[in-house]
Amino acid sequence: MTYVHPIHPAPTTFLKKYVFSMDHKVIGKQFLWYGIFFLGVGGMMALLIRWTLAFPGEPFPVIGSILFPYTNGVVPPDTYSMLFTLHGTIMIFYAITPILIGAFGNYCIPLLIGARDMAFPLLNMLSFHIAVVSGVILLGSLFLPLGGAAGGWTSYPTLSTAVGSPGAGQTFWCLAIFVLGVSSTMGAINYITTVISFRAPGMGYFDMPLTIWGLWLTAILNAIFIPVLSAGVLLLIFDRVFGTTFFLAGAAATTGSGDPILFQHVFWIFGHPEVYILILPAWGIVSDILAFFSRKPAFGAKATALSMTAITVLSTLVYGHHMFTTQMSPLLTQTFMTLTMTISIPSAILFANWLGTIWKGSLRFDTPMLFSLGVVFVFGLGGLTGLYLGTATTDFYLHDTYFVVGHFHYTMAASVLLGGFGATYYWFPKMFGRMMNEFWGKVHFWGSMIGLNGIFGGMLLVGYAGMHRRLYNPFVYEFMQSLAPMNLFITWAALFMGAAQLPFLWNFIYSLYRGPIAEANPWKVGTLEWTVPSPPKTHNFDTIPVVKCGPHELGNPNLKNGRDFQYQTEELVKI
Amino acid sequence: MMSYENNIFLKLLNYFLSSRVNPATVSAREYTLWDSFKLPEDISTTGKYIDWLFNYITLWNIFYFALVCIGLFGFSYLYHHKRNKVPLYTHGYKKQQLAVTFIIGLAVFLTIDIFIAAKSSYDLKAYFWNFPSENEETIKIEVAAQQWMWTFRHAGPDNEFNTVDDIVTNHDLYIPVNKKVEIRLTSKDVIHSFYLPNARTKIDAMPGRISRLWFEATKTGVFDIACAEMCGTNHYKMQAKLIIYEQKDYQEWLTQAHKIATYGLDPDHKEFNWGWPWRNEK
Repeated sequence: MTYVHPIHPAPTTFLKKYVFSMDHKVIGKQFLWYGIFFLGVGGMMALLIRWTLAFPGEPFPVIGSILFPYTNGVVPPDTYSMLFTLHGTIMIFYAITPILIGAFGNYCIPLLIGARDMAFPLLNMLSFHIAVVSGVILLGSLFLPLGGAAGGWTSYPTLSTAVGSPGAGQTFWCLAIFVLGVSSTMGAINYITTVISFRAPGMGYFDMPLTIWGLWLTAILNAIFIPVLSAGVLLLIFDRVFGTTFFLAGAAATTGSGDPILFQHVFWIFGHPEVYILILPAWGIVSDILAFFSRKPAFGAKATALSMTAITVLSTLVYGHHMFTTQMSPLLTQTFMTLTMTISIPSAILFANWLGTIWKGSLRFDTPMLFSLGVVFVFGLGGLTGLYLGTATTDFYLHDTYFVVGHFHYTMAASVLLGGFGATYYWFPKMFGRMMNEFWGKVHFWGSMIGLNGIFGGMLLVGYAGMHRRLYNPFVYEFMQSLAPMNLFITWAALFMGAAQLPFLWNFIYSLYRGPIAEANPWKVGTLEWTVPSPPKTHNFDTIPVVKCGPHELGNPNLKNGRDFQYQTEELVKI
Repeated sequence: MMSYENNIFLKLLNYFLSSRVNPATVSAREYTLWDSFKLPEDISTTGKYIDWLFNYITLWNIFYFALVCIGLFGFSYLYHHKRNKVPLYTHGYKKQQLAVTFIIGLAVFLTIDIFIAAKSSYDLKAYFWNFPSENEETIKIEVAAQQWMWTFRHAGPDNEFNTVDDIVTNHDLYIPVNKKVEIRLTSKDVIHSFYLPNARTKIDAMPGRISRLWFEATKTGVFDIACAEMCGTNHYKMQAKLIIYEQKDYQEWLTQAHKIATYGLDPDHKEFNWGWPWRNEK
């Protein structure tokens, strides 16, 4: 049954309008700024890491001597550990999640399903404010006497217990993740309820845009698995602060003994779905954008939606492939390997459908389309390199090497980032009522595409040559000295990638104030958000629309009204 | 293989990428970008199974990724809106279209996935988990990892572990060539990972658990042992050397090392390098 929010008067005071707003569109923008801020922080950390790997022992230029005065600008080894720990944490939980799920989830879900707001607006507001608290805790931990967390983003005990990390930074890290988990769970419950109960009359599940499918499945995974992570870090806090021994073993466990591997199980039960939590929204967005800019219906949209659902289910059953080298029982190893392999069936169907969508289309290469095609390319590389890691024997060699780093950056960083940028260019006119610049958008795309393939392709190569992760100076090993030129290449690519984000930043900020005014439907697309003005009113829809056809009705030859698409509110024109 | 000397592109690339690593840590040899494409030399009897599987996956991956690229770039060219003004109105639900999609999904699964899962399972049972039996003459070694050091324990003449005549070495693992080596690992503090790039394998060393690994070296020499699991600030320094001797040289080393090990030994101070009794398991 469809629920409808009543129309409330728009807020007038500054605080109610921009800070304590319960409007999903404002909260979405808040999450966007939050995500872009942390993307910058995490990106700078990545550059510091890359600099250290390419030029070990050389001071970081310009800001190095300010950041690390005691070493004359050289990144010290303990700071290096903090940098890669927080780079991972920030990029996953504070940049990608807020942008894809927080910003576009909040902004798109009600607008694309014809609702006036999220099911629980207050919960929605709280979810952002709690995320801010979490971000403050995390950044604050950097200023503690012993610095922030330094045990890797996976924070495996016993390194992350008091045995390996005596400073309070690790406790702060756990707290920040726990608090962020509260925020994510609030958001997830809200998204699930909204999609189930607030769809416009007439809109069946298969009439939802695939973006909504992606966000909805992500929210389901979030609601189930974020609490698992929260439980894990809570137990870790107990071990660190209250002297319990859930994860302690070995010489350090003086009062009874737990098991550090237990944490790995808990972490990866969450951690593997997390990969799909990040990528599912991007898949949905890409599936939609490819159809809209090919001016034809999404090829096999139901199969795409069902494949995404299948992957959502399978993602919960394969986590053990992260732990092959911990010597699980042979039965578990073989089971997890086989289950992991089944994921490639729905993934291949997704690729077939994406290519089917652009097949015989009339392709318009606007910036959102370029980014979406980019996602297909980089996710192809990311998905296929996963095969080596899902296979137990090749994983014995490749586990914890840069091959893994390259692989998950292709899937989680490159694909999701490109998808997120595509979504930004696509919905920017609706969000801010102005168009972004096409030329600088394309410069941004090609710069990013070349940069990230240089970085992550290079990482796959050095990983294949045996270079393992999280090394302050890999060249102390003889067998890795030959990799110095490739590490240099990756660093140049990373600097190039960083520079390629400047046009985006300029474009974003300039267009916010000076971009050409956007019309209500600049891309000529029929989903519900384009039926209302840009930007929409506070209550989105004056009258709740009634949905009569699917989201991808483009290129129907029998359309007589001079348009090549029809709105979802129009009766389907029969062939 | 493309030769580096004749390739102007690679020369140019190398001009920009000439190694600038601190000379104190790098040997005199200048490396080129081309060196990154090489695997570490395989010195084990089992490494070739991993390399074979890797190459098998790579070949199919190239095939499927080429298909994706042909679709992506080919369609982008052919169906550019200037060349193809009228898009085809199809939802992709026709029987043939569904069949093509389904066949692609199944083809990937059958050619790569199920094959590599089966092959990998076979390799695990036939080689990697096929530990040497009790009766077989193997070199047994206990490894204790700690921040940031590897400790290796040979049983000594009495063939019993955790006795006073054990030979304990730090940072260097001595083994003979052409003989199966069985390793039992644990860690004193945090999780480490015993990584032999030249044998294509690694296994975690975990506090409170004993994990095990076997391999057989096929040539003599000195190779790297690394810690592959993040274990703290000096993780990057936690290296050891794998020193592989001819069998008779190994025997000689064993005799010498035993002399040194028992020289000035205090039998009451066993905890100094702790080991544990070896248990046969199958």
